[in-house]
Amino acid sequence: MADMKTAAAATSLVFTLGLICVVRPGVAQQADSARQRPDSSVSAAALKKLSIEQLMDLQVTSVSKRPERLSQTASAIQVITQQDIRRSGASSLAEALRLASNLQLAQVDSRQWAISARGFNGTTANKLLVLIDGRTIYTPLFSGVFWDVQEVPLEDIDRIEVISGPGATLWGANAVNGVINVITKDAKDTQGFLLTGGGGTEQHGFGTVRYGAALGSSVRARIYGRGFDRDATAFPSGQDAADDWHLEQGGFRMDWEASSASHATLQGELYDGRIAQDSGGDIAVTGRNVIAKWSRTLSERSSLTAQLYYDRTHRDIPRLFGEHLDTYDVELQHSTRLGARHDLVWGLGYRNINDRTVVGADSTLAFLPTQVAREWFTGFVQDEIALVPNRVHVTLGTKIEHNDYTGFEVQPSGRVSWRLASSGLLWAAVSRALRTPSRIDRDLFAPAKPPYFLTGGPDFHSEEELAYELGYRYQRGSVALSVATFYSRYHGLRSIEQVNPPNPVPLVIGNGQDGESYGGEVTAEYWLTSRWRVHAGYTELRVHVWPNPGSTDRSRGATESQVPDRQFLLQSWVDLPGHLGLAAGFRAIDDINHQLVPAYAELNATLTWQPTSHLDLSLVGQNLLHDQHREFGAATSPTRRDIQRGVYGAVAWRF
Amino acid sequence: MAFLKITAAVLLVCAPRLGAQAAKASEAQVKAVFLFNFAQFVDWPAESVPDSQAPLVIGILGEDPFGDFLDATVRGERRGARPFAVHRYQRVDDVTRCDILFIGQSAGDAPEEIIARLKNRPILTVSDADRFAQRGGMIRFVTDRSRIRLQINPAAAEAAHLTISSKLLRVAEVITPTGR
Repeated sequence: MADMKTAAAATSLVFTLGLICVVRPGVAQQADSARQRPDSSVSAAALKKLSIEQLMDLQVTSVSKRPERLSQTASAIQVITQQDIRRSGASSLAEALRLASNLQLAQVDSRQWAISARGFNGTTANKLLVLIDGRTIYTPLFSGVFWDVQEVPLEDIDRIEVISGPGATLWGANAVNGVINVITKDAKDTQGFLLTGGGGTEQHGFGTVRYGAALGSSVRARIYGRGFDRDATAFPSGQDAADDWHLEQGGFRMDWEASSASHATLQGELYDGRIAQDSGGDIAVTGRNVIAKWSRTLSERSSLTAQLYYDRTHRDIPRLFGEHLDTYDVELQHSTRLGARHDLVWGLGYRNINDRTVVGADSTLAFLPTQVAREWFTGFVQDEIALVPNRVHVTLGTKIEHNDYTGFEVQPSGRVSWRLASSGLLWAAVSRALRTPSRIDRDLFAPAKPPYFLTGGPDFHSEEELAYELGYRYQRGSVALSVATFYSRYHGLRSIEQVNPPNPVPLVIGNGQDGESYGGEVTAEYWLTSRWRVHAGYTELRVHVWPNPGSTDRSRGATESQVPDRQFLLQSWVDLPGHLGLAAGFRAIDDINHQLVPAYAELNATLTWQPTSHLDLSLVGQNLLHDQHREFGAATSPTRRDIQRGVYGAVAWRF
Repeated sequence: MAFLKITAAVLLVCAPRLGAQAAKASEAQVKAVFLFNFAQFVDWPAESVPDSQAPLVIGILGEDPFGDFLDATVRGERRGARPFAVHRYQRVDDVTRCDILFIGQSAGDAPEEIIARLKNRPILTVSDADRFAQRGGMIRFVTDRSRIRLQINPAAAEAAHLTISSKLLRVAEVITPTGR
């Protein structure tokens, strides 16, 4: 309760601060005058120098936490747009992420996904940071994501930015090997009614009702409700794996354009799902969250954003495990231009979690103490320096974080981008990123009651990465190309150590492994005609993990990195006559290291008919090449599930 | 709580100083530059160009959100040998010779109505009205806070005998033909 009071006090204080700034008359006046008197003498010439791509190219907020043109971004970023998602026939956020070829992604069963970038994948992958509208969807249990409850309505997504490589300087711990940033639409882009529905073999049924309306002249809002029922996966024998499930969800978003320079957003959602298991009762998942965001342009050179969110999740696996998690988070960010050459961004953040686990009667493990409260304080600063303006830019920055496990941690990075005359951009980066401890590293005990054969590491410290990246990005006319190469060195990766070697038990979690990874990611996009676009992506990846002297762990990464050496994706979108569209996505994934998952190729295809602008009808085929195939999990494990071919039809009606 | 006090102090110190700086390039400024740029990415049928020196007219129907910025943007510019001109219209019936028409929010009639009246005239229609491209318009500005994206309905342009370059389509969201 003490923590809740602190958080409540923090909330009210931040709101107070926000109000102080909003009503400060000098600032408000300045912003209004900007709207009425465009300062043409300054900007006309400058704006006209930009190409059409530069003017409208997706302004990417993730990488530098301030608007930046994609073709200038000095990192391995891919952007999935609403149009890509809609035409892909994806039915969940995780499926939509298949469109990013720089992710390693595997469907584990009907609800679980293993998603990572640059290796280190698993169902508890812990080196990727995922944000939905600035809300970190992170479980402090294992620093990963429960993908089954990240069911953002796909119709509401504006875009998804997928960055492979460290993003720790701006985004902090967990952004070791990548960041996924899901950004939903402004309420003003979702006005009117939207009804969607459909069903098929694997997607038994789904439906969404969304309504958006104006509340006064400057506030737009939307509200939605949705639900789905998904079929079970199959055991290798073909027998039903009984993991079918359903989830109901509702939410809202309000956007207030307080002035041309000031924008506020309030959004929230609630969900409730039941996941069947082949043995034991249904898993219950519920959650709710609310986000308040405020951004203000202070001047041509300066802007300020503040964000506050509260997130509660609850998961109950009967007789095995339960978790209640409350997260409070507040962030403040200011970007400003200093002189002619410095673009400075800095920010402060505070997060507080209260995590309560329940040890079930049949539990084989426990998180002890069952309840913990943790705090994180973060600050970051980054300066983009125009050494040669519009040609050579250097970005230096660091994140400084304080956590309850390891105290202060520093995560600096340096980036150089060099714009070539040929519409190309060459970039290089060196970063230090950390995966700070989570509860699984410190608080895990097995079995649930003493004597324990495995205990969390009381001295477990952060896993460290030093990453070196070199990339090239080219965009001109109908061609876009990106190449990113990387070499990373890891220190203190998680290991399981014998307490009294050579006795096999007891075991304790330690930092006994080092490792390295290297590889390259290539993507190319080409508009064959104005109605036919193809996108190809290829990733080559190697991960080596080894025990340090003194370590008794001999897993060599078997439990930490389950990824293919290479993968290839090809997508095609074509508009056909008669208001028809055809989208196809082919993927070829090499065998998964440390698992007996053979290489496979699969194909998704979607035929869409849009007889009027109000109505879309689509027929979607997923995983069409095989009756069932495995993407993840051990060959012999009783938990292994195969993913089956699926076909469904869908209707979307807007009015 | 010490952390929050620091935050508070920083906020209070920063805000007044920042407010004293210059004005920001507004949404309207950027849109004006877009309108100017569209001229480079669209081909008009030869019969719609009176002569090679005729001004390329950017029209604004209804309320003008650009102030004098659009005029400043096109001042001294040419497309080939053609200079630019900016005309303002109150009603759709006032639209005389025009190559690019920005339809303001307060243009009165619904976009469908305006487009119907312009039917078959080789005019590139642009607006930021909701679902403009789906409603038969050619290009819609979609503003997402500081970001402006384009939705383009190539079929509507084709119907007016305009050719939109694939370079422009490449960076826009292509809206498939609307129902009739």
